[in-house]
Amino acid sequence: MWALVLFEGMLFTLYFAVYMVCRVQSPELFLDSQALLDPRWGVLNTLVMLTSSWSIARCVQASREGAYEQALRNLALTFFFGLVFVVLKVAEWSAEIRQGLTFTTNEFFSFYYFLTAIHFIHLLVGFAVLGIVAYQLRSPARRSQQIVETGATYWHLVDFLWVIIFALLYVMR
Amino acid sequence: MSAITGAGSARPGGLLERIAWHWRHDPKLELWLALAAMVLFYNLYGIVFFLVANAQPPPDPAWELPRVQQWFNDNHYGLPIGFGIIFIVTFLTAACNALIAYSMRRMSVSPAFAYAYFIIYSFSAIPGMLLTCIALVVGAMRPDRDPELILWLYDLAFMAFDGTMGVFLVGTTIWMVAILLDKNRVFPKWFAYLNLCNAMTEVVVAPAWLFTDGVFAWDGAITWWIDMIVFVVYTGCFITLLRQMILREDFGSGPLPELPAAQAATS
Repeated sequence: MWALVLFEGMLFTLYFAVYMVCRVQSPELFLDSQALLDPRWGVLNTLVMLTSSWSIARCVQASREGAYEQALRNLALTFFFGLVFVVLKVAEWSAEIRQGLTFTTNEFFSFYYFLTAIHFIHLLVGFAVLGIVAYQLRSPARRSQQIVETGATYWHLVDFLWVIIFALLYVMR
Repeated sequence: MSAITGAGSARPGGLLERIAWHWRHDPKLELWLALAAMVLFYNLYGIVFFLVANAQPPPDPAWELPRVQQWFNDNHYGLPIGFGIIFIVTFLTAACNALIAYSMRRMSVSPAFAYAYFIIYSFSAIPGMLLTCIALVVGAMRPDRDPELILWLYDLAFMAFDGTMGVFLVGTTIWMVAILLDKNRVFPKWFAYLNLCNAMTEVVVAPAWLFTDGVFAWDGAITWWIDMIVFVVYTGCFITLLRQMILREDFGSGPLPELPAAQAATS
């Protein structure tokens, strides 16, 4: 899984680098467009993602201690926060599209929708990963700690990517 | 469990004699031929698309008709000659797909993975290569064609090539899941994650349908350049790993044995 962290990290670094280059070329466009985003959505989503990382970390800890029922509860919590993120993100996109801010509005919003959408896809894959972790935890015949920790690593990667996307799109001026 | 069908006689020393020996006795001959076909195909593909036909990196999607006509005129010979070569060697893709499907049959997973991959990738050559070749050759063959048709062929060629990654995405995902589920250790798990990375780059080409300039156009930094870097790394990795798979192959049904350290160092 660390190989995935490396590969995805490098890939997203390239995307972020392209974003930064385009931002440097059109600073006013990017600044003006950024002002149209409501940072409260971003803050809320960041808090949700960080909380989900906390709950998956507790899941791993419980699994290490053999407290599998507790681990499953924390996993369910992670899944719940992931769903909250999905709902919030879709609501945010809907609000922005209703305002007329779409993928083709300008270069900033192309990047905005691109980066948040590619992160969203990673999140959806993350649900499948959480499902695999749940499958492992449910039965004493399975319970591979390696798979549990691998799944958690993936979720932390998704969280980490969101934090950077949040910083680039919502915060950086 | 191992079931190598070995050859009895000792291998002779000279190069031609060794080749003849392998042709007659090597139980892995078909696998090596498939790998050779793969290496040959990808090399020809690169040479033709990048150098002969000058179709990659792709030209600008924002060009107006006169500039597009000029591009076809500039490549009036390169396009039909280069893609003529591609039409001839397209059959090599069957061997490429077969070798990758074979790798999945050697895994502990259901045969459905191999067959699904093989079927999907058999179709992938059409939007992923042949449609582009046909459209560009047609465009180059008659410079006196209706200019609007020339522009249409130009758009068709490059949108087909750069914007239709759905089949590759599904095929890559199939291979990834097979590797993750496999207990026979045919490929290292990190290669499954590289498949995921490659699959993601096949998703991000979608904006090419909307933009004619910038990083999301068919020649953009995100939809072409980064994708090409990932694709080259991915292709190099899977050719190397397939070679190692063939070296390790024991024609059994259990986990593939690891290469001896000395052989692994030189392979």
